[in-house]
Amino acid sequence: MSCRLRFSDGKMAIGPLRGGRRLLLAGFGGLLALMLVAGADAVLVLRQVRSSDAQIRDSYLRRSRALSQVRSGIYQSAIVMRDYLLSEDHAVARAQVEKWTAIRRETDRALRESAAALDPVEAEPLQSLEAEVQDYWRLLEAVSQTPDAQGQHRASFLSGELVRRRTAMLSLIDRIDQISTRELSSGDTQLNITFDRLQLRIGLMLGATLSAGLMLAAFTIWRTLRLESELEKRFEEGVRARQELKELSARLVSAQEEERRAISRELHDEVGQSLSALLMEAGNAAASVSTDSAEVRRHVESIKRLAEASVNVIRNMTLLLRPSMLDDFGLVPALEWQAREVSKRTGMRVQVAAEETAALSDEHKTCIYRVVQEALHNCARHAQARSVKVLVRQEPSKILLSVEDDGRGFDAVRTRGLGLVGMEERVNHLGGTFLVDSFPGRGTTVAAELPVVI
Amino acid sequence: MEAPTRSIRIVLADDHTVMRGGLRLLLERQSNLQVVGEASNGREAVELAASEQPDVVVMDIAMPHLNGVEATRQIVSRSPDIAVVILSMHSDESYVIRSLKAGARAYLLKDSAEADLIAAIHAITEGKSFFSPAVRRILKEDYVHQLHEMGAEDSYELLTNREREVLQLVAEGKSNKEVANLLSLSVYTVETHRTHILQKLNLHSVPDLILYAVRKGIIS
Repeated sequence: MSCRLRFSDGKMAIGPLRGGRRLLLAGFGGLLALMLVAGADAVLVLRQVRSSDAQIRDSYLRRSRALSQVRSGIYQSAIVMRDYLLSEDHAVARAQVEKWTAIRRETDRALRESAAALDPVEAEPLQSLEAEVQDYWRLLEAVSQTPDAQGQHRASFLSGELVRRRTAMLSLIDRIDQISTRELSSGDTQLNITFDRLQLRIGLMLGATLSAGLMLAAFTIWRTLRLESELEKRFEEGVRARQELKELSARLVSAQEEERRAISRELHDEVGQSLSALLMEAGNAAASVSTDSAEVRRHVESIKRLAEASVNVIRNMTLLLRPSMLDDFGLVPALEWQAREVSKRTGMRVQVAAEETAALSDEHKTCIYRVVQEALHNCARHAQARSVKVLVRQEPSKILLSVEDDGRGFDAVRTRGLGLVGMEERVNHLGGTFLVDSFPGRGTTVAAELPVVI
Repeated sequence: MEAPTRSIRIVLADDHTVMRGGLRLLLERQSNLQVVGEASNGREAVELAASEQPDVVVMDIAMPHLNGVEATRQIVSRSPDIAVVILSMHSDESYVIRSLKAGARAYLLKDSAEADLIAAIHAITEGKSFFSPAVRRILKEDYVHQLHEMGAEDSYELLTNREREVLQLVAEGKSNKEVANLLSLSVYTVETHRTHILQKLNLHSVPDLILYAVRKGIIS
């Protein structure tokens, strides 16, 4: 009963363990996913940072290039205009105007480009610059289209209008340049912030992954320890259960032996004796009645025959249950009787070489007797042996026992019937060792060694 | 009419009252048999035998306190003249041999008591041995079986005619002196014959010899 309770306890403990396995799998999966997500995120953000950095630098470069083009366009157009004004030759002047027109085109293009590359918020100085530049163009246009302009306006134009406007424009360009630089540095700052954020993100991810990993490790260790202790408990339970089973079977064997002895004795001493008495009384009765009553005599004879048959049955039953010589005279007479019986019954030749052993305990006598009985039974039934040798020898601290037949043998390593197990159990219970040596075609030897304290 | 000889005094030893009652009835129907005491265990039997000094003790084997074989040994060793008849349920030779070695002169199975007990008592008071037919048969069968098994020679063939005569008389319970008288030999010669017989048959004692004779069917 106690065994069964313990086993069911064990079974109940399996539930949470199965849940733990699922939890563990989920945990490991989650950790892996977390690590993948963190890695992918970091790579993504880094790529973003790199591309936005390149973009910022690219637009700054474009802006500066465009602005310096605008600046050089303004300078060049001033120089070309001056050359135009100063040139005496008409054809040279024409060429200067054409040159200026090309410069103006280029400069306009650069202006548009820089406007495109600049943040719309900073568009105001650029618009004024554009207006200034248009004014400037208009002025230069007017100069270039005026016939003989070289003569009339040269001095005033050069010293006044042109220089003034140019200076204003250049200062505007400088302002735009500053804005552009500021934009670059603000881009850098933005980039730094993004970087910081990325760092924080990676740090957080790392922390999360690490703590998840730690938790998982802790859970795994806890679970392993629990499984280990569970296993240990189970193992101990198994050992204890086996021990209990062994004790139980030993108790069963001795109880069975006691029962047999009691029944055998009861049959012999009570039933057998009563039947014998009955027989005699029947004889006495027959003797007391008048001798001419043939009827009564026949009945009495019938009673006697029945009683005689019953006595014989009782006698055989008694001996089969437990031979009385085992208790009355000891082991050797019992073994010899057993040998004679087996020999008579099966035709197998049974030789007993047993020494009358001094003061053997009842347990030892019974054990040896039953082992020999079972072995002889096997020889006759399974081995188809023709002759068997039973040997019992007493040594100072032990008893050696062997039953050797010339039968067909069997594979002792693989086959082990219930009979052999029973013999082994009996021998083991008395602290002895049990051995079966057999091989197909080579006979069987069953041997045991029992320690005895005398 | 012949004057009755002194009646045979008998002690019964059996732990079953009914059995003892039956036996007493059986025995006392004979005019020359007299039951002088009943014992219900081995110890009582030994005491009764000592105090009553009967001619015959009819003894069961399975008894409390002291079994019949041991009780027989004690009675015979104290009073060799008391003849013990074993009356038992056991038919195995180990019981027969041990009873004989303990000094019993007859061995009967209880189921044949009614038929054989009177004959057995008369036989043993004349110094002979007696065995139930069933016991004789078992002993003989076992012996023949064993001889057959061992493939042994029948050692009886080794004996001379004179030795066979001596064997039969000794087995019947005669003393050396009686044998000497019967065969007109000196006691010393009988003694020598006995020694030879035991040697040739590989026997060690008179009970062995009796058993051998029963097995061979020399005596009954």
